[in-house]
Amino acid sequence: MLENSLPVLLSRLDFAWITSFHILYPPLTIGLAVALFFFEWRWMRTNDEHWYRLTRFFEKLFIVNFGAGVATGITMEMAFGILYGPFSQAAGPFFGQVLGYETITAFMYEAGFIGLMIFGWGKINKKMHLFATFNVALSSALSAMWILVANSWMQTPTGVALKNGVFQVTDWFAAILNPDVMLGFPHMLIASFELALFFVAAVSAWFILKQRHIAMFQRPLKYAMLALIVIAPLQVYLGDGLGEVISHDQPAALASMEGHYHTYNKDGSVNTGWHVVAWPNAKGDGNAFAITIPHVLSVLETRTWSGKVPGLDSIKPQDRPPVVIPFYSFRIMVAIGMFLSLVAVWGVWLAIRGRLAVKAIAGNKWFLRTLVFSAFLPYAAVWTGWWTREIARQPWVVYGLMRTAAGVSHMSVPLELFWLVGYMAFELMVLGGAAYFIAKLIRKGPDMTSPIAHEGHQTLGHLEEPAPHEPAKPEYLRPA
Amino acid sequence: MAPLNALTQVQHMLTFIWWLSLGLCILLYVILDGADLGAGIFSLFVSDEDERGAIMSAMAGTWDANETWLIVAGGVLFGTFPFVYGSLFTYLMVPLALALWGIITRAAALELRHLAEKRYQRFSDWAFGLSSLATTFFGGMAVGATLLGFPLTDVPDQVPTYVGGALRFITPFSVWTGVAAVIAVSLAGGLFVRARFEPSEPIRQHAAKWTNVAFYMALAAVAITLVVSSAIFPWVSSKWFGPHFWVWGLAGIVVVFAIVKMRLASARDHDLAAILWLNLAIAFMAVGMMATMYPWMVPGTWTIYAGATPQVSIITFTLAMAGFFPVMLMYNWYQIWVFRARITKLAAYDH
Repeated sequence: MLENSLPVLLSRLDFAWITSFHILYPPLTIGLAVALFFFEWRWMRTNDEHWYRLTRFFEKLFIVNFGAGVATGITMEMAFGILYGPFSQAAGPFFGQVLGYETITAFMYEAGFIGLMIFGWGKINKKMHLFATFNVALSSALSAMWILVANSWMQTPTGVALKNGVFQVTDWFAAILNPDVMLGFPHMLIASFELALFFVAAVSAWFILKQRHIAMFQRPLKYAMLALIVIAPLQVYLGDGLGEVISHDQPAALASMEGHYHTYNKDGSVNTGWHVVAWPNAKGDGNAFAITIPHVLSVLETRTWSGKVPGLDSIKPQDRPPVVIPFYSFRIMVAIGMFLSLVAVWGVWLAIRGRLAVKAIAGNKWFLRTLVFSAFLPYAAVWTGWWTREIARQPWVVYGLMRTAAGVSHMSVPLELFWLVGYMAFELMVLGGAAYFIAKLIRKGPDMTSPIAHEGHQTLGHLEEPAPHEPAKPEYLRPA
Repeated sequence: MAPLNALTQVQHMLTFIWWLSLGLCILLYVILDGADLGAGIFSLFVSDEDERGAIMSAMAGTWDANETWLIVAGGVLFGTFPFVYGSLFTYLMVPLALALWGIITRAAALELRHLAEKRYQRFSDWAFGLSSLATTFFGGMAVGATLLGFPLTDVPDQVPTYVGGALRFITPFSVWTGVAAVIAVSLAGGLFVRARFEPSEPIRQHAAKWTNVAFYMALAAVAITLVVSSAIFPWVSSKWFGPHFWVWGLAGIVVVFAIVKMRLASARDHDLAAILWLNLAIAFMAVGMMATMYPWMVPGTWTIYAGATPQVSIITFTLAMAGFFPVMLMYNWYQIWVFRARITKLAAYDH
């Protein structure tokens, strides 16, 4: 089959690699920007130095993460045209426009304020600085919205008609507000918040475990837990809703996520079984083995005891997605979502019992250790979630309308390997650098001694003279 | 091809203006990031570590926003000219990948240098300089390869796309444009360094020598490029030596005037003025180049009208032009303004 030819598989791997190594960074940027805004706002309201130190400390981590996101992100925009030229051409009238908005409204918008946020301390006034932080948070969330609009449209392509090999938009609202994005975007946005909250909580927990700055890091930890008791279960709820959308609009994807091969059992009754674990047989028309709980699948997808869920046998063989990766990725993501909700409940239970107070918090060693460990889980959930979403859509690049094999650029295998090997090297370098320096900054700890940045003295309307007598006046308040 | 050309008159107009704005984005990218790239190449020849660090911190607050114009150009290309985007970028896969790896390395070096220990800083300085060089060279090569055009498929009911070798982009002309790009940004980088350092800093003298050499090389590079282009591209010679030859001559005189003014300003230490005169010269050359290419976007391959989405719409256009572009220009300007001050080498991150 054309779909499984080596060039097509490699082109998918090429794209999967660069997207997987880009999506590591934006969720933290999106979520942490909101946290930074909160810290800075508390500082402005209370004038409490701890909030200022926290803002500056987490901002340093934010910068490293943001830099890695930009470094890996520029490729993304070019990669559609490079690796998926025919797809970019056909989908351009919608997809290209949406990505164009993303660059204009979000990317540029964000870049315009991030420099001010990072280097503006002491140069611009406090309100302007808070405004810059706010805009960074808003623009990065907007960016996620456009990206999800584009990707969701590939899952549920409404509002377009295929004319002369081009997807022409017949209804902009239907295309932008496609069925998948209504929950797809919130699911990604809340994932970003959850990831960043666990990141903040884990960093704080690490300091408390090390008996460093306990009074200062107790605050973000407690606030993170209070936010997570809402965010973590909300994420599970949104994910469940998105699953329902998929079962309705992408039955093949759902069947592959669940390893659901047969709509009916051999005796003719409806197959309602949900597999905890399963492995497909060699022929790929059923499971070689599976641990199955009856009725759960019907309850999950149809909200009835014995409702019919279309299996892979109701899909034409050439239109069936692969099973193993979507099946296990999906389960890992769900398990992480559940586990993180339990961690949030644990945290709030401790808070209610007063165990998260400054004096008591360092005593909850196992809770703090769990938090440090939990920082890595949202990353795994983001990866597995996206793998589920993208692989379960195969063999389509635009679900039901354009096959992946038809959308890929004509590339030779050596060329695809050139891309893959190069990006493996460069993006692992970025990941290694970012992880190493984030860890180093955390070990070094917050800067408690530098003078607090005061109001800026930036006066507009004064153009510097080239005269040599001007003193070396700009004192840079840099992130140390 | 016929249905792809089915643009209404309004759409024709909109496409044209989108093309101008694409040119503006690329021009802004070349002007803004060109200086950063050139300063990076210059840093390869700076032996004082603090000075290298200071060059990086001179662009620390703005490099990201400058580079974003490239992203915006990509967005406009994908959004409005998807047929060009989808085929041109496949054709340019190798030079784009190499330039992108340069951009990745450069971003990592810029953001991580100040956190690293001394011995790694030397490594990151090399990475920064070499990646600036690679990005410029392969970016320049991609431009040259674009000017040469590429073959398209002809399948009924499908958008024409690129099927050809991955190394087709390598030609004497594209290698030359790569070299010329390196020379041009070297000049811009020298002026940038001069403008961003305190007058008493020794690096300014160093940059003055560099700028001198780069200036004469750039003059030669422009002259060679003009002669070669008019010799090998019929779409160039037919315009330049056609009935409106005097228009091109006038534009050339303006460019020469701006270049002379730049030299004078630079010699008098009016660094900001020198940069602005250089930018004016670049802008005039860019307008001249676009006018020469019109109506081709990729000469011989895509005209701007055949390459545009059949759904160019007045609504999205107005949103972008009246809403986003002015705002973007405003805050980009504000940011450059905030970070305009001169620095000393002690502004290297870790001091």
